[in-house]
Amino acid sequence: MTSRPDLDAHLAAIQAGDPTAFARWIAGAEPTLRETLRSFAAVVDTEAVLQEALLRVWQVAPRFVPDGEANGLFRLAVRIARNLAVSERRRHTREVREDEPIDPGVPLVTITPVDPLLRRRIEECRDALPSKPGDALRARLTADGTEPDEVLAERLSMRVNTFLQNITRARRLLSECLEAHGVDLALELV
Amino acid sequence: MTPIRPADEALVEATVSAYRDLDPEGRVRAHPAWHDLDAEGRRAAFDATAAARRLEALVDSAGLSSTARAVLARVAAGGRR
Repeated sequence: MTSRPDLDAHLAAIQAGDPTAFARWIAGAEPTLRETLRSFAAVVDTEAVLQEALLRVWQVAPRFVPDGEANGLFRLAVRIARNLAVSERRRHTREVREDEPIDPGVPLVTITPVDPLLRRRIEECRDALPSKPGDALRARLTADGTEPDEVLAERLSMRVNTFLQNITRARRLLSECLEAHGVDLALELV
Repeated sequence: MTPIRPADEALVEATVSAYRDLDPEGRVRAHPAWHDLDAEGRRAAFDATAAARRLEALVDSAGLSSTARAVLARVAAGGRR
């Protein structure tokens, strides 16, 4: 069961400079915004484009004037992200594609409510990981994207490749554990 | 979901990290490992990242992924306003 919220409920607070409101807006916008970049996945690093787009949204939000329709800031974010992706692709490939739609339409923001049982299962399976894969995955999660893997690996006295292997193993074990509890992650994460 | 080829596992996993450096002009830069993947590997990295972020947000008390937290850390550091 999904809902279709209007993320502009956070707009006034974002414009006033409230980072907590921006966090709530990102929590609702990120999955759909990321999905709008799927067609660029082979030609640009969509994670970098997404982060840059979100920073620009924060930057321009104070000057944003809503048009009265729902999710105005989200629609602006989609345009910013797509324009960045097109620019990046041109920078990397020096290729101008005329078949790229200028505005393929803005998807609806959808939010799937968190199932507390699923959350508990994930936490249980994560806590049951063997020490090294568990440590590596925890290090990634607690770093919140603010430290490179080289730093995290060194802190755990691991080589970077070993660190990456441990995270891959952790994800595999997590998925197997959830499957054993009747959770199909591929379905849950759609 | 694009399958991850065994030879790409380390590069894909490196790319899944939300850590991104800034370029000299202060823009978020592509992960070095992403450049070493071919088109299929990059599509696999996109799928793996999307799945990882949803999982992170599911277990986070504020529903935030590491992408969100990386961006908010830059905002908190006084970025871009």
